Amino acid sequence: MVKGKIWVAVAALGLVAGAAQAKDLEIGALFPMSGPNAVYGEVFRSGTDLAVAHINATHMLKEPLKILYEDSQALPQPAVVAMTKLVDVEQVPYVLTAFTGVSKAISTLAQRNQVIAVNGGGVGPDLAKLGPYFWNVIPLVNFEVHGMVPYLAEHGMKKVALIYVDDPLGQSILDELKATLPGVGGKLVAEMSVPSSAQNFAAVAAKVRASGANAVYIASYGAQQLQIAKQLRDNGVKAQFASYSGFSVPDALKLPEAQGLLYTTQAVNLKADDPVTKLFAEDYAKAYPGKTPSAYVVNYYNAVLLYAQLAQGVEKAGKPITGPNLLAERKAMKRFDLVGGTVSFAANGTLVAPMQISKIEGGKGVPLEVIKAE
Amino acid sequence: MLWLQLTITGLQTGALYALTAVGFSLIFGTTRVFHFAHGAAFVLAAYVFYWADQAGLGIAVGVILAALAAMAFGVAMDRIVYAPIQRHEGSFFTVFVASFGVGIAVQNIVGMVFGRSFVTINTPLSNSVELMSGVYVAPLTWIAIFCVAVFFGALQLFLRRTHTGVALRALADSPELIRVFGLDPRRISAAAFALGSLLVVPGAVITALGSGLNPALGSHVMLISLAATIVGGIGSINGVLVAGFVLGLAENLSQIFVQSQWSEAVTFAILFLVILLKPAGLFGRIQAR
Repeated sequence: MVKGKIWVAVAALGLVAGAAQAKDLEIGALFPMSGPNAVYGEVFRSGTDLAVAHINATHMLKEPLKILYEDSQALPQPAVVAMTKLVDVEQVPYVLTAFTGVSKAISTLAQRNQVIAVNGGGVGPDLAKLGPYFWNVIPLVNFEVHGMVPYLAEHGMKKVALIYVDDPLGQSILDELKATLPGVGGKLVAEMSVPSSAQNFAAVAAKVRASGANAVYIASYGAQQLQIAKQLRDNGVKAQFASYSGFSVPDALKLPEAQGLLYTTQAVNLKADDPVTKLFAEDYAKAYPGKTPSAYVVNYYNAVLLYAQLAQGVEKAGKPITGPNLLAERKAMKRFDLVGGTVSFAANGTLVAPMQISKIEGGKGVPLEVIKAE
Repeated sequence: MLWLQLTITGLQTGALYALTAVGFSLIFGTTRVFHFAHGAAFVLAAYVFYWADQAGLGIAVGVILAALAAMAFGVAMDRIVYAPIQRHEGSFFTVFVASFGVGIAVQNIVGMVFGRSFVTINTPLSNSVELMSGVYVAPLTWIAIFCVAVFFGALQLFLRRTHTGVALRALADSPELIRVFGLDPRRISAAAFALGSLLVVPGAVITALGSGLNPALGSHVMLISLAATIVGGIGSINGVLVAGFVLGLAENLSQIFVQSQWSEAVTFAILFLVILLKPAGLFGRIQAR
């Protein structure tokens, strides 16, 4: 009788152990899900969730893939706490990150723990220098400014005023504008830094008007960049607005005061006929009828798909899915079939992609010009 | 003309700060409750107004609904949150933490209901008109200044000429005296919350019409209200009014000399100076303990 009970217990333990081994493959995501930048989190998640659905439906990996979302609030401090949880408690090998300040803050944890951190939303140029475990599936803002400045100059807008948020992103855009404007005969006629918490820009508008600028570059994000655009227009600023990929979110596209604004993103050909792009475009249209996926949606879809392609290679080699193995696999594979076509990474772990200048018209981004990858 | 433009924008900013801060000061001065959720009342009023606009109910109905929402929220906070804590000898800090928690909860509920993104109301009232070369003024600027005059005047009359107003002033001085005169401190406290919360409405509506809304707006409102209350002198409605304008003007005029990013620091430099040089605030009374 006792022997029988022991066998039942052993069998039960075996079942529990089996269940534990069949655990989902987990990766982490540090997205803003509350606070003024939560709108980005929703956009990013629409890309990641679609990628997970595709990966699991096609059984790309031996086990189902699951994303553990943590709220970064787009702030470094909560992001570091969340990253610590993902790395130490959940022990994920791969974490999706966004925002320059957040990405820089968590990068040391990624390096120390040999966890891959993949950024698809932050664009500060410093993100290319965060070590082998930090990758960018988005071209950084220096490439965006390099694309925008000649365009402005060619169209007679050589006097540029900059309104920039006082953080690593804003600082890097300031540096890039200072470096590139003189090369095309342009001039930075005013530079105004604003704290990320600022909400009132009437005084900034007065200073922009006084500067005589014929283009205003807005280097902020989230609710603040929209408040800047609205209040500048309300307060009589008639100069052309220009910005970076931060303006490619739906909220910005539908803001009446942002109509006519020029912005840069990486060029993604959603009409490409490769199977990855076709599947993405078709299923996104089904999930979000009438909406065009922004570059961020594509980036985070690609970031998850990149993981699946690397993990697939690691699984085939019979190795465990760890940060070092994923890094080695990326270096071995070199080229990846992602949405928009086949892409590669620069030696610093940043995606090489052409840029595109778009104009906000009728609530959507209308592509004007494609600039070759540098 | 930059200085004139910045003076005008400073007056508009100051008007909004003054109105919001006077409400907080009235509540804090009379009840001694650190009503951190005052910022939440602002957000609530602003979003109710936004909802009314989207529903096509018009500005007047929107303002009335916003006022009702803000007052109901203030009274509910007093009755449902603060009164039970105070009944159980809850400390000042306990009340503050409860208020802080409600503020965060309201921010998230508003985010869930209205979305977390930036929302605006399309209105010609926010479009500036060039008054003279390089000086632009939006109709909302005049509305903000008019609102301060009307609301502040009405508040002074209310506090001096009505029984409830006199009782509110008495509550600030001595809650025990209120009981001696047969009045109920709880009812007067509820009146303070209703009135203080009502005072956020003009600022909330003007913000909704002018600069747009996001659910995280409340913390900035609260920060400025607190600074104005301390600079003006706790319990001094006149002082807070002046402090609101001083902070608004300083925030804008400082941009002639320093980068915009330092404008908030200017606010807190003024706060720091006042604390150092006149700890009771510009119009505050030093109280013996």
